[in-house]
Amino acid sequence: MKVDVINRRTALRRLLYIAGGTLLLPACYRQSGKATIEMTHLVIDEEQENLLAELVETIIPSSDTPGGKELLLHLFVLKMVDDCHSPEDQEAFTAGLSTFSTYSRELMGQDFIKLEVDKRIAFLESLKEIENEEVKRFYGITRRRTIQGFTNSKYVMTDLKKYELVPGRYNGYFKMT
Amino acid sequence: MANLNIDSVKTRTFDAIVIGSGASGGWAAKEFTEKGLKTLVLERGRDVVHVKDYPTTNLYPYELEHRGETTYADKQANPIANRCYAYKEDTRHFFVKDEEHPYIQEKDFDWIRGYQVGGKSLLWARQTQRWSAYDFEGPARDGFAVDWPIRYQDIDPWYSYVERFVGIAGNKDGLYTLPDGDFLPGYPLNAAEDYFRQSVNKNFQGRHVISARCAHLSEPQPIHIEQGRVKCQHRILCQRGCPFGGYFSSNASTIPWAQKTGNLTLRPHSVVHSILYDKETGKATGVKVIDTESLEELDFFANVIFVNASALNTNLVLLNSKSDRFPEGLGNDNGLLGKYIAFHNYTARISAEYDGLLEYRTDGRNPAGGGYIPNFRNVDRQETDFLRGWAAAFGASRSQIRDTNGVGDALKNALLDDSKWSNWRIHSHMMAETIPKEDNRVWLNADKTDKWGVPLLHISIDYAEDDWQRRKDYYEQMTAMYEAAGFTNIRTQDDGRRPGNDIHEMGGVRMGHDPKTSLLNKWNQLHLCNNVYVTDGACMTSTATQNPTLTYMALTARAVDHAVKSLKNGDL
Repeated sequence: MKVDVINRRTALRRLLYIAGGTLLLPACYRQSGKATIEMTHLVIDEEQENLLAELVETIIPSSDTPGGKELLLHLFVLKMVDDCHSPEDQEAFTAGLSTFSTYSRELMGQDFIKLEVDKRIAFLESLKEIENEEVKRFYGITRRRTIQGFTNSKYVMTDLKKYELVPGRYNGYFKMT
Repeated sequence: MANLNIDSVKTRTFDAIVIGSGASGGWAAKEFTEKGLKTLVLERGRDVVHVKDYPTTNLYPYELEHRGETTYADKQANPIANRCYAYKEDTRHFFVKDEEHPYIQEKDFDWIRGYQVGGKSLLWARQTQRWSAYDFEGPARDGFAVDWPIRYQDIDPWYSYVERFVGIAGNKDGLYTLPDGDFLPGYPLNAAEDYFRQSVNKNFQGRHVISARCAHLSEPQPIHIEQGRVKCQHRILCQRGCPFGGYFSSNASTIPWAQKTGNLTLRPHSVVHSILYDKETGKATGVKVIDTESLEELDFFANVIFVNASALNTNLVLLNSKSDRFPEGLGNDNGLLGKYIAFHNYTARISAEYDGLLEYRTDGRNPAGGGYIPNFRNVDRQETDFLRGWAAAFGASRSQIRDTNGVGDALKNALLDDSKWSNWRIHSHMMAETIPKEDNRVWLNADKTDKWGVPLLHISIDYAEDDWQRRKDYYEQMTAMYEAAGFTNIRTQDDGRRPGNDIHEMGGVRMGHDPKTSLLNKWNQLHLCNNVYVTDGACMTSTATQNPTLTYMALTARAVDHAVKSLKNGDL
């Protein structure tokens, strides 16, 4: 059995982000080759999950604040696609995920995961023009769900912006500064 | 053994039985129990205890597994429920799933239901406007349906009575088309809504934009505190159930109030099969109930029965109450039971932008939702080639603009940037009166039943040509009003919703003067079986344009008052 070694601080932080969410329980002891979360429809292997993690990290990178990977947005994307998308979407997503690396090799000469950040971004920008429907759809879904997962994450909603569950007020003439 | 039976009948005998625990049933329960009557409230669904049974009420967006979205499997399994605007991950447990109670759609009809204690009062949009004198006079003046057997003066004091207890936020606007009530302070319009109000005032005689009136405690009074309810906290998560009791629901208000009297017996899991009729006395004696947990069939008895099962289910119960005397359903000699069902046409929207007053935005949330435009069409006289008119919801909002086109740091920064705000986005939707028509109707299937042995309901209800005339007028008039205010990018939209999706189904057991052409008299009693009262949406003779719940509640309080007086002086 292979054990992913992550440092304690990262592990704790991860757990905190997901503690409220009940949904994503990352197994620290990972059975080789399988995705981290249980899914009903999607069949995703470890390598694909890692690629997706790199992709969400590229879409929303860590800076002085956490990025896509640390916020586990790749798992959020998988969860949403698995539960909330149609079989057609799921098929396109899986197919697009599979051909994503091939595309990267063709266009950039290397696997996406091995590219430098600026090359990755250039590659993603170039996807706007491609004709492969599956890759386009895969990337579109991933982007949309990554953005959703980010803006609706506990981290963003508590540390960066204050979501008010109980505003207790309404001002229809709030003067802007 | 004989004694046991007598005891059993005794424990199943009450002074009054109320079928249903939604907004109107809850009011019947409150009124009867306060007046000292031992009252049985039958609810087909489960119990929902205020606060305790609101499992999602305090969840943050990120605590919802799918961030509020319903799953693909849910959408496939429940297309009807999913078409309701309020059906989401955090509220779905309060809605009937499509499979749980099938019905036969002769024509497309979304029947949105909430089977639990509190019914749809947990889920309603909380908009509460009085009808006007003009609305009650409508059918007689314009020659449709039948004449209402009551006028505004008959219900006016009961509106006040209900409003004071429920708590309605609204302004005294002084409009005869939408009479003022006993209000708590209204929620003010925002900068752009207020600007539109002034523009309409200046440019269109007889048209008004007012603060929407809603069942929220803007400033709770002692009577609300006594109910255990406090000031609305502007969460706008109402359909999850409100831990503050900030809006009115049976659960937060009338049901616990009735419980405090010691006179209430609340029986959830009780599907009413039919009302029992005694032809010797000419009265109903009780109801036949199926316990949905034990599947046991039980009879309960009372001197007076209120049917508040929600409009179409009330029709169903009465149609299924067959006896030698009433082979076509209780009180249905004229064959009109289940006919002349009407609703509100909500199919139209109109949006726009306004680039003025950009020094303002809103802060916090408005529980009223914004503004309301009372109907101004055909009020004093017939002026169009269609009958009656429409009201409109109106609102304006600004949101943060974020450029989400990039990737990487650019995208991340854009998503966290709070500095750019959109123009005012203007939105409105139509709430049009529909004319009750005989062939908009429901009836029972002869063979198929649900799992409790109750016949399935056929529903055949559709729009008519005049609905599209009213809608065309809404588009035209609203466009003119938007243009006069300098709004741009005006877009009309047919939202394509099916009848029923407005969740304002009304009629089928209409009130009227004449037993030949109506089912209920002016006190909401069945003409032909006067200890049965119907005071939910089924009693409505016409629909007007107002959100109807306030009127059901007022009619209920009025009818209970009549029933109790009649019981006392031996008329029932």
